[in-house]
Amino acid sequence: MSLPARSEERLPIEFAEEEQSLRVTGFWLFLITDLLIFASLFSSYAVYVPMSAGGPTPMGLFHLGPVLIETLALLTSSFTVGVAIWAMRRGQISLLRYALVVTLLLGAVFVGLELHEFVLDVAQGAGWQRSAFLSSFFLLVATHGAHVSFGILWAIALLFQLARHGLTAVTSRKLYTFALYWHFLDIVWVCIFTFVYLIGKVS
Amino acid sequence: MSAAEERDLSESPQEFEQGLRIIDPHFAEERFPWRQVIGFAASLALTIAALLLVRGGVLAPQLLTAALFALAALQVGIQLGVFMHLRESRGPAWHVPLLALGIAIAVGMVGMSIWIMTFKWGVS
Repeated sequence: MSLPARSEERLPIEFAEEEQSLRVTGFWLFLITDLLIFASLFSSYAVYVPMSAGGPTPMGLFHLGPVLIETLALLTSSFTVGVAIWAMRRGQISLLRYALVVTLLLGAVFVGLELHEFVLDVAQGAGWQRSAFLSSFFLLVATHGAHVSFGILWAIALLFQLARHGLTAVTSRKLYTFALYWHFLDIVWVCIFTFVYLIGKVS
Repeated sequence: MSAAEERDLSESPQEFEQGLRIIDPHFAEERFPWRQVIGFAASLALTIAALLLVRGGVLAPQLLTAALFALAALQVGIQLGVFMHLRESRGPAWHVPLLALGIAIAVGMVGMSIWIMTFKWGVS
């Protein structure tokens, strides 16, 4: 009895080469370690949040309006990168490129709004040196913001690689791992939005 | 190590077929990204629901906190299941048990920190 023929075309392009599919698994391992970094930052925030040293408290400091816009920008960018991968698997390279550009623009909107919030906080004396609460707040939220900023640079680099090499097993695997990274950051933001901003408004 | 001792570590045809079964074979036939659109709509609805719960102020604080945690957990599930193709992998999905372990450690670390601080009021 002969074994069924290998039909690599039955696999999505990012899994078509065995080595690339192993790299995807490796990237999942990186995301899991990154999850532990964020878990330790969330832990320190949970410990320090009551220690506002007579300064601003979450209840008084946070404004949910701008934070909601940041959240909507990031949720939408997570959707557009999902569409990008969907288009990549169908070989629709122009839709892929368009969705990726929208993703990184929304990411830039998110980072811009977050920096604006930080600048306003610092201007009213709520900087990271003010209290343990604010130190842990800035450390947690800015670590996420730094991840998003890095993701934007990564997406720009991928757009150049896509223009130069087209959709190959390697570029598609890179795009797929970028999508995993971006969705992971959306998960972290959902946790920040809930545990930091929304819980901060619960008396 | 002699050449005879080297083992071929690449996947066998059976393993390849097994890997195919995990990935949706119809990935290329969808004409519209319905899963992504539904996942996006659900995550928007959950975000707005969480915000309305906080703004409404109807629920007692403890109940409200529990509801917010539940809504966040649902959103995380949507991101993993719909957008990150969590179940897809070529061959065994090794990342799934490792992710479960990572989430268990993360939830344990944050949960224990909150728990231990409930004994510290008035001390610090």
